[in-house]
Amino acid sequence: MPTAHLEPFRPQRMTLTELPIGATGRVFALAGETNVCARLRELGFCESAVIEKISGQKTLLCQLCGTRIALSDRTASHIVVELVRGG
Amino acid sequence: MSAPGQPAGPSRTPVYALVGNPNCGKSTLFNALTGLKQKVGNYPGVTVEKKIGTAYSQHGLPLTVIDLPGTYSLAARSPDEAVTRDVLLGRRADTPQPDRILCIVDATNLERNLYLVHQILDLGRPVILVLNMMDLAARSGMEVRVGRLEHALGIPVIACEAVNGKGLIELKLAMSRPDLPLSRHAWDIPAAIAPAVTELQASLAAGEGKSPLIARAEALLLLTDQDSVRVAGSTPLNARTTEILRSWQERWAGQEIDWAGILVGSRYDAIGVLAANAVQAGPPAGRTTSDKIDAVVTHPVWGWLILIAVMTLIFLSIFTLAEYPMDWIGAQIAALTRGVKDVMPAGDLRDLVTDGAIAGVGTIVTFLPQILILFFFIGLLENTGYMARAAFIMDRLMSRVGLNGKAFIPLLSSYACAIPGIMATRTIEDPKDRLTTILVAPLMSCSARLPVYLLMIAALVPGDRVPLPTKVGLMLLMYALGTFGAFGFAWLFKRTLLKGAPPLMIMELPPYRLPGLKDVVLHMIQRAGLFLKRAGTVILGISIILWFLTTYPKGPGGVVSIDHSFAGAAGHAIEPLIKPIGFDWRIGIGLISSFAAREVFVSSTAVVFSVQNFNADDAHADLTPLREALRNAHWPDGRALFTPLVCLSLMIYYVFAMQCMSTIAVVRRETNSWKWPIFQTLYMTGTAWVLSFIVYQAGRGLGF
Repeated sequence: MPTAHLEPFRPQRMTLTELPIGATGRVFALAGETNVCARLRELGFCESAVIEKISGQKTLLCQLCGTRIALSDRTASHIVVELVRGG
Repeated sequence: MSAPGQPAGPSRTPVYALVGNPNCGKSTLFNALTGLKQKVGNYPGVTVEKKIGTAYSQHGLPLTVIDLPGTYSLAARSPDEAVTRDVLLGRRADTPQPDRILCIVDATNLERNLYLVHQILDLGRPVILVLNMMDLAARSGMEVRVGRLEHALGIPVIACEAVNGKGLIELKLAMSRPDLPLSRHAWDIPAAIAPAVTELQASLAAGEGKSPLIARAEALLLLTDQDSVRVAGSTPLNARTTEILRSWQERWAGQEIDWAGILVGSRYDAIGVLAANAVQAGPPAGRTTSDKIDAVVTHPVWGWLILIAVMTLIFLSIFTLAEYPMDWIGAQIAALTRGVKDVMPAGDLRDLVTDGAIAGVGTIVTFLPQILILFFFIGLLENTGYMARAAFIMDRLMSRVGLNGKAFIPLLSSYACAIPGIMATRTIEDPKDRLTTILVAPLMSCSARLPVYLLMIAALVPGDRVPLPTKVGLMLLMYALGTFGAFGFAWLFKRTLLKGAPPLMIMELPPYRLPGLKDVVLHMIQRAGLFLKRAGTVILGISIILWFLTTYPKGPGGVVSIDHSFAGAAGHAIEPLIKPIGFDWRIGIGLISSFAAREVFVSSTAVVFSVQNFNADDAHADLTPLREALRNAHWPDGRALFTPLVCLSLMIYYVFAMQCMSTIAVVRRETNSWKWPIFQTLYMTGTAWVLSFIVYQAGRGLGF
């Protein structure tokens, strides 16, 4: 039996800034300054929300729940996502 | 509970607050409800726009509607959002606490919009939920079940398309109901924070006399609100409540559990259940029209080209289209002055009216066409949704100097006039980013500097006609100096004085829409009205004071002579200061008088150098006689005064110097202190002096 089958499936985790353009990720956690995290949560970046990264390096553009949202890389670095597809 | 001092009886006009996320169509709904019966002002002490209108119930009774600034949450992050929170919580003495609340949400984006609604329902006030953009939701295949939402929440839910005026009658019917039900809203506060909520609630209810539900809502807010924004004019928390809050926060900080996050999460859980029940999602959305437009508009290359094209168009419009009405207004002002001179007997009173009052009003009104065109375009860009894209594209560039992408609009507006620019900084959430933008905005060459540049270029270049490339080149140089200066100082301030983390930007890009002309025009008129009120009063006041200073005391024989006047004395007094940059006392008078508006430099120079029959109000006034007069002006030792080097030095001085009382007054209002306008005046005028000094002295040294 190939060993790969024994390993539990572990999706790749990364910050939203590291998510490749065009890929989709699911929010795993918000980490960093508390008030930034609270703001992100209020805007809908909750755990399990699905984000598609559209473009950008310094300022990112992504799609969340059918809405386009622009965020600076410092904001986006608070968002830890699990790669769902693409990239 | 009724707001203090307001009898809660049927005789009082009910007050409705209109709340919603940004971009949910709130302003359109407000305009549709109130028509032109709106009053736009300011919340005292803060620079947040206060919009109050009157709608009429089904029986023709007036209803007051307050349009509160858009927000995603009651946990405020900017002064605008703090005002929304404080009005709803009854913390502002200047605004009655609303009796009822109209929550407007974007139906296409229900789940995210319901977060604010969820917080509002906590307040225990009657709420009407307005589902806007139902047409867009239907088009994307979504089915929003209004009945289910109404049943789940227990409040009236109205489906509406504010842009097309659909659903307004139903909304007005609901607003006319004497008995609006309270929501059946209940949600479980996480057990671990319940004691904190109870304790804070008790303190708020006992210490500040709040109703239990408002106190509970506020307690919940205080716990999620990490660094809450306090604004002037709002009642602060009492000491006991502050102490309780602090002790709980300390306790939690020790446990390293993010209770604020858990609270937000539990709200979203409740919302998730609501939305799952009420919304039938459509087929997986392909690329929408907005997405297709965005693929081009936010493209790294095409996006820039489109942005540059749009900006060029706006600039060309401001400077070319505005010319005709400006000339016309100038001619009318000149005619009015002549008329008054014919009717009134000669004397000081007549001069006060013509040279003080009419000249002052003329200055303001002449700017109006440009301001109107600017506001029209800004309204259009905001209304279509392009503005957010422009801010997104600019953010990459602006973040290099530590500015927020949202600073783009204020800086752009400042090319027309710094006052609307500074007023537009209100959308910037971070106070340091906002202050930096305010501090550098007046460095953008405003249109009042144009006449000064034009006169100096005319004086600088020998010959009757200035070759076009020289004119354009020098002009571009001045604009570039101001622009790079602004970015340079922003960079400097963000690294020293206003040191802060790099800007945190989160901005929603609303779907593109066709602009609603009515909304754009209304927006334009309201903004222009605010400008007139803000700048107009100052400019008028300064014009009258300046008239006095240039008239009295009179010269020998009671003849008005600027040389003998206070202004003349002031010019002489500052001559030692400005001599190192090549200016004499007569230019000094021009500098002082142009504090009313920079362009006044041209007309006062005409007076000082006694140019007869020069009418500065007439845009086609021939600069030749003035230019000749300047060319013939000399220092007492016979050297020419306006050498090309002095003209250049003067232009550079005008690029940087804070030569505008109205801007100072507006900065004082927007920052709520004298500290920043004074600092700004010193740094700008100081830079101006130093640069002019370097250019002048280096030029002299090189033999110019």
